[in-house]
Amino acid sequence: MTDSELDATYTRLCNTMTTLGETVAPLFLARFALLAITHVDDATLVGQWLADAERDLASTGHPRSNI
Amino acid sequence: MAYSSVPYPFTARHYAPRLPELRDGVDVQRHPVVVVGGGPVGYTTALGLARQGVRVVLLEADDSVCFGSRAICISRRSLEIAARLGALPGFLDVGLPWTGGRSYYRDTEVLHFQMPQDENQKLPPMLNLAQYHIEQILLNRAEELSHLIDIRWQTRVTGMKVDASGARLTLSTPLGDYAINADWLVAADGGRSTVRESLGLALQGTSYEGRYVIVDILLDSQRATERLAYFDPPCNPGSTVLVHKQPDGVWRIDYQLGDGEDPDQAVLPENVMPRVASLLEMMGERGAWQPIWTTIYKANALTLEHYRHGRVLFAGDAAHLVPIFGVRGANSGIDDADNLAWKLAFVVQGLASERLLDSYSQERVAATHENLAQGTKSTEFMAPPSFAFALMRTAVLGLALRHPRLRSLINPRQSVAICYTGSRLNTALPASAEFDAGPVPGAVLPECPLTHIDAGNARPGYLTDLLATGFTALYFSEAGTLPPVLLTAFQALMALPAHLAARGIPFELRLITKTQSTSDQPSAWDHTQRLFPLLAAKPGSLYLVRPDGHVLARWRQGDANEVLGAIDHALRA
Repeated sequence: MTDSELDATYTRLCNTMTTLGETVAPLFLARFALLAITHVDDATLVGQWLADAERDLASTGHPRSNI
Repeated sequence: MAYSSVPYPFTARHYAPRLPELRDGVDVQRHPVVVVGGGPVGYTTALGLARQGVRVVLLEADDSVCFGSRAICISRRSLEIAARLGALPGFLDVGLPWTGGRSYYRDTEVLHFQMPQDENQKLPPMLNLAQYHIEQILLNRAEELSHLIDIRWQTRVTGMKVDASGARLTLSTPLGDYAINADWLVAADGGRSTVRESLGLALQGTSYEGRYVIVDILLDSQRATERLAYFDPPCNPGSTVLVHKQPDGVWRIDYQLGDGEDPDQAVLPENVMPRVASLLEMMGERGAWQPIWTTIYKANALTLEHYRHGRVLFAGDAAHLVPIFGVRGANSGIDDADNLAWKLAFVVQGLASERLLDSYSQERVAATHENLAQGTKSTEFMAPPSFAFALMRTAVLGLALRHPRLRSLINPRQSVAICYTGSRLNTALPASAEFDAGPVPGAVLPECPLTHIDAGNARPGYLTDLLATGFTALYFSEAGTLPPVLLTAFQALMALPAHLAARGIPFELRLITKTQSTSDQPSAWDHTQRLFPLLAAKPGSLYLVRPDGHVLARWRQGDANEVLGAIDHALRA
């Protein structure tokens, strides 16, 4: 994936979440996470990602919406 | 703590209004071109027309260059344009060059980016200076060309009538009102364009809700010139702050307002000064500082559908408003002016059909869409338009330190030269496809050092030095005796400048050699051996370049008839 493809994918993800709304977005992300996990198909790698995604989250708190 | 506001360390000259010779309240002269607006775009247009020998009247409503904090970054592409207009020394004398920047999430640096910069470049990728500097430098150059550029200060457009042969403007000045007739009108009168409004045209697109406060301060600091971005900084949690160093100790600070903050309250000194103070403390800046100016900004992504409306041509903010993030505002306007000036000059001089001006609209509208796409992405990151963009941004910033692959999403996507890929001026595309590298038709010529050889004298220079006022053919060759087949083609090419001059078309043939030439013919030597590969050129190759530095066509084997055909195609397309 090139930088611009990553960019486009990121924007599509954000736009999809925006359209679904704040209530449904977590379920959308959960479904996406499951698809990614099964596609990667590597328990060790996914385990590292789960730890990385969780790291420092306690201090991040609630992200501030800027609307 | 009390704060007093200080003036900018810049004294603008003030210019008196002037009336031309009038008959019955009308300027006795009918002018080929009138430009409305004395900003960077208006001056660049006037200078571009003057470079082609076309007289121009420029109308400016105020009595001096602008005031306050507007455009602050000039791109390499804009500097190339300034160089062609004879205004580069002023920019390099005043501006602060920079090549990269840093982004911080809370107290951690998560991105250190570099803009494209290598040993081939003559100019820095970006230069910081205030818009009043930009205008003054261009104005100084315009005053040197006062036999071609007639600047009328304190002259406000109060009405206009446009027909198929030109425009008639009614003007108001402190010395009295008058009317002026012009064959062509260039509207470079900014975001609130009077000309646009008079024609009943409206910009279309998106306005973003996120607001930024813009503060200029005077600060004593030795910090390097870089673009600094602070996301969710300890000094202003939840906000985003941008910091740019400018000449003369001026620092520009942009910070995002939070949800529900009242913009009118936000610009009051009691609300601005503590935020600036805490930012400077966080940055470790201990020097004395004083506020100069404060305003508020909201990102827009808006454009006209077409930039040519009969005899009226729109350029810069009058034609489009792009978000500030990525510095595409003034830079895209300067690019508009550069594209428009030579085309309008060729039409005014009867060298091209009016359709050449439709290509201005086509190419620059396409450029705006590219600029808006990039600017919108920057804005979505800098001023997230929904909970989703805000949430995802927090995720990116939190992961970027350990996961470098995500850092490109934080990169501010600074303005780059636009390629006119779909332009109908582009021609000989199958011949271009035979090259495996180098700029395609529509792309800007890249930069590369070379050695200019003239009458046995050698001096260092660059590829862009070879670009002439009109069209330029760059012919690539070995030095010394050419093989017969190339010699015949070269002799025909050598006859082209005189042939085209007879038709009034400015054209230069430049010879670029692989080894140093010893002949009397002026040439450029690719002493680094980087230029031939950069352009995928071989002996016999030819690049045909437009007056604005964009490639028009290229051939593996240059041929005089092909060159003539390409120029005719551009001027008559």
